[in-house]
Amino acid sequence: MLKLNGITKIFNKGTVNENVVLRDLYLDVNDGDFISIIGSNGAGKSTLLNIIAGVYTVDGGSILLEDRDITKLPEYERAKFIGRVFQDPMMGTAPSMTIEENLSMAYCRDKRRKLKWGLNNQMREMFRQKLAELGLGLENRMDTKVRLLSGGQRQALTLLIATMVKPKLLLLDEHTAALDPATVRQINDLTEEIVLQKGITTLMITHNMEHAIKMGNRLIMMDKGQIVLDIRGSEKMSLTVDDLIDMFESKAQRKFDEDRIVLGMKH
Amino acid sequence: MFNLVITSLEQGIVFGIMALGVFVTFKVLDFPDLTVDGSFPLGAAVASIMIFYGGNPFLALIVATAAGMGAGFITGFLNTKGKITGLLAGILTMTALYSINLRVMGRSNVTLLNAKTIFTYFEKWGIPRQWVFLTTFIIITVIIKILLDSFLKTEVGFALRATGNNPNMARALGVNTEAMKILGLSISNGLVALSGALVAQYQGFADIGMGVGTVVAGLASVIIGEMIIGERKIGLATFSALLGSFIYRLSIGIALRLGFAATDLKLLTTILVIIALSTPRIRNLVRSVTS
Repeated sequence: MLKLNGITKIFNKGTVNENVVLRDLYLDVNDGDFISIIGSNGAGKSTLLNIIAGVYTVDGGSILLEDRDITKLPEYERAKFIGRVFQDPMMGTAPSMTIEENLSMAYCRDKRRKLKWGLNNQMREMFRQKLAELGLGLENRMDTKVRLLSGGQRQALTLLIATMVKPKLLLLDEHTAALDPATVRQINDLTEEIVLQKGITTLMITHNMEHAIKMGNRLIMMDKGQIVLDIRGSEKMSLTVDDLIDMFESKAQRKFDEDRIVLGMKH
Repeated sequence: MFNLVITSLEQGIVFGIMALGVFVTFKVLDFPDLTVDGSFPLGAAVASIMIFYGGNPFLALIVATAAGMGAGFITGFLNTKGKITGLLAGILTMTALYSINLRVMGRSNVTLLNAKTIFTYFEKWGIPRQWVFLTTFIIITVIIKILLDSFLKTEVGFALRATGNNPNMARALGVNTEAMKILGLSISNGLVALSGALVAQYQGFADIGMGVGTVVAGLASVIIGEMIIGERKIGLATFSALLGSFIYRLSIGIALRLGFAATDLKLLTTILVIIALSTPRIRNLVRSVTS
């Protein structure tokens, strides 16, 4: 349902710092796929997600979503059907606005915003139910300003905001990287629950190889702006971290010396 | 003393409308908008020239507000489509408005001594001359505050607030942040121009220099108000801007009574703002030293 055809992205074109981050990249995402994306730093993973979301324009190639060419569509238009959760828990919510105000914004994502009240009791009731499902007690604090919440709570909220109106595509950019281990597990469980329950096509960047293997039905490894590995189904389920490293080294023809990634440690 | 309070109240409220405008750009939109030094006298100029030539003073208010919105629109356009940084965009519009305002007035000031202002009408409708300014200002400001508070609680209002609070998140939720910026700047400068139009009728003249220091006065009002009330719900936040405006004008009035010259006011304003900004820090410092 998402097709990336020959995507090229160059930063600082024509200058000394020119950097070809994505190089003639092709990707075919099927409806219902849950794809983990891994790779060393500079591989182009975040850029890939940002290209899909429309934060950056492409220098070559096209993006088709359900056969509709969205290559030239501005970011905020694509946001109507693309949900995003960022690495920084502060990025996905408006800190000076309350939980219910943030959720109201999420609720209007796919609609034209009008001069009607942003909140009413009906909406509040719906929000209360959805927040209760998160199991964090946020439904009792709906008029608290979001900046008073912890990182894990904000990230859970961002996840809810990104998926409340079911998106065609969910983009997760290392969304557990800045959280403590206990919260990481909580958010990962939540992610899987929401994605499976609602059947949302998802792309998830992670630096944690174990998460990448355990979650989702498909795994992609990127290196130097290209996709070097694309594993799915049963082959993916039987993978180990060592397998991945061996496969990478044979494809990329260099040593995989990023200890941090192997051990799944935070930056 | 009583007179001082009443005058400060009058000024606090009429300039409070300007403070609300500054509140919308600086606090809600998080946009450092300097256009206001130009849109305040723009409102005054437009309204005065219309009234001078016998036009309906209420219509003059509306046209002045529209002119202010136009100025805000230009700054917004320069920033979003022209890719000029916010501060500079505001300065450009403000600078251009100096010449434009002179053109509108045809000279450097316009006197409204015997002209028919909105106060003439309110007096005709039975409000005693002594209270006509205060009453008019209160009525107009209450209406404006209700409209602004309501707007900031609509879907569009939320989008505007999110644009200022976290533009990345706003865009990720489908908000056209460029359009929101332009909208916010238009509303803000419309309010500031309205304030200018009212002040011109209040003081009986419009002058090319009356805009100088508007942004500082507006910021002083917003900051003082925030120091007293703090950043809470929308209704309280807009009220704090108005309260801050009153206290600011009162402080100036007291300073003048104490013998300071009018030329000292800029320094006093600066000191007042520094005190207001330092207060939370001073409070915390005292607390940590005495504990």
